[in-house]
Amino acid sequence: MGSNGKIIRKKDLNIWQKAYLTEIFKGLRLTISQIFKPKFTYLYPEVRFKPQPSFRGRPVLVHENGTERCVACGLCSRVCPALAIEVQASETELEKERYPIKFEINMVRCIFCGFCEEVCPEEAIIMSNEYELVFTSQEEAIFGKERLLKSTEEMKDRLEFLRAHR
Amino acid sequence: MEPRTDEVARKSKILQALEDQNTSVTLDDPLENDMILNMGPQHPATHGVLRLLIRLDGETVIGCVPEVGYLHRGYEKLAESCTYHEFIPHTDRLDYLSPMNNNTAYAMAVEKLLGIEAPPRAQHIRVIISELARISSHLMFLGSLAMDVGALTVWMWAFREREKEYDIFENIAGARFTTSYTRIGGLAQDVTPETLAMVKKFAGELPGYLEECERLLNKNRIFLGRTDGVGVISPEKALDLGLTGPGLRACGIEHDLRRASPYLVYKDLDFNIPVYEGGDSLARYYVRMDEMRESVKILQQVLEKMPAGEVHAFKPKKVLPKKDRVYTKMEELIHDFMIVNFGVEPPVGEIYSAVEAPKGELGFYIYSHGEGYPWRLKIRSPSFVNLQSLPTMMMGGLISDVVAIIGSLDPVMGEADK
Repeated sequence: MGSNGKIIRKKDLNIWQKAYLTEIFKGLRLTISQIFKPKFTYLYPEVRFKPQPSFRGRPVLVHENGTERCVACGLCSRVCPALAIEVQASETELEKERYPIKFEINMVRCIFCGFCEEVCPEEAIIMSNEYELVFTSQEEAIFGKERLLKSTEEMKDRLEFLRAHR
Repeated sequence: MEPRTDEVARKSKILQALEDQNTSVTLDDPLENDMILNMGPQHPATHGVLRLLIRLDGETVIGCVPEVGYLHRGYEKLAESCTYHEFIPHTDRLDYLSPMNNNTAYAMAVEKLLGIEAPPRAQHIRVIISELARISSHLMFLGSLAMDVGALTVWMWAFREREKEYDIFENIAGARFTTSYTRIGGLAQDVTPETLAMVKKFAGELPGYLEECERLLNKNRIFLGRTDGVGVISPEKALDLGLTGPGLRACGIEHDLRRASPYLVYKDLDFNIPVYEGGDSLARYYVRMDEMRESVKILQQVLEKMPAGEVHAFKPKKVLPKKDRVYTKMEELIHDFMIVNFGVEPPVGEIYSAVEAPKGELGFYIYSHGEGYPWRLKIRSPSFVNLQSLPTMMMGGLISDVVAIIGSLDPVMGEADK
């Protein structure tokens, strides 16, 4: 319709529009016609929302054949605006020399901003596509290494996306 | 009867004594008292935690004091202990209906301080996300104003359109609501061609949906009755109070920062600034509806002009390096660590940079002492400044107009309280 720079005010209405009843029927016709359009919503638990590779879900640690890529430099912990990450480094015999003996993300604090992923120099922490997080206690919300580690195969989509668009 | 006359006599004796001592005495007549109504902070029609103290004479508003601060999180102070990079997620939570606009405004302010500029592709994408955010914010306005005056259908339809937009944001930034998308000197990540196709489809379909909403509202006697001539503010008063954005343009003053001091690529784009006379709620509704159509025009032009190239400026020590270089090159790895640990260190100085956010002029004033942290960061938030025009608009209106006026002013308390 467009207004073409002119406001339709109360005084501009004609007698039928002022009478309102005809307008009610016009409006009802418009709203009832929506019934025949395809449904826009979906029933959540049955139909699940499938995130794109660009989606920032919960952060995970990437491991290759059981060894995490992380070298415990602590940069993610430094950049985290919500102070959710705690890293404790230790030494290892492997080529990377350092590994995190303790890596914890407090998922109650995490704001899913993706900064840890952005600054990580080893592509070790990335955002997954998981968005359903339920805890029953504060302690349960602190994710240790065992819950954070995911293999490169599981995170293939996201890793490919990051290489192409970052 | 006896005790009563006694009492009157006693009272008049007291009065006489008081008057002799040169004091003035006023006695309240309960029937002529004004009523003070406390609206909010938990009122569904106040758009967040806005509290209004309204003085009523019958049903007429004769005084109004907006109380802000219920959502105060101290972002200006918090910024002083965040590096410039760390503060980006906090800007999402200012005007949470258009986070992309805040991201852009903040990134541009820091870039101005550093004396750098984002590459052309990043600038074009920033225009796209700003306009999408403007549409999303105005759709929220459309839905909530209609709902405040009693039309629920439009609310549902507006939210359906916003949902499509959030799908686009999810593809662009990775998050639907708290986007944190822009970076100092560029963007977090490039957009895919599929996403741009989604934007194109959305921009093509939106005017049709807006028209549907207008068919329900524009000639609706109830909607007009609730908004026509309600909450009038004169152009002079609006300027005095510092009103910006659609509220000012509804008073007949053509002021839009996209035109007045063009930023990004707005000076190369062809669009109109919708201006209406009247300064009432209805005019503010019309301005926003037309602005959405202008945003669609802008989107279509930018999509055609979209250049190829990087989305990150190549400025070592100022802008985070590209990821593939961080993985392979020593120098970039060092810069990555330095920027994150100590922050970008801008020169000593102060800047003010503002953009036209959906609600008005959103400005960031940064005072730098040359450290990785801002010494002072002031946010000039449009909602906060616009709220002070609320008493003027409400004066003489009815109590039922209050919600329509708040709805037409469209304040977001996350931004007003900071």
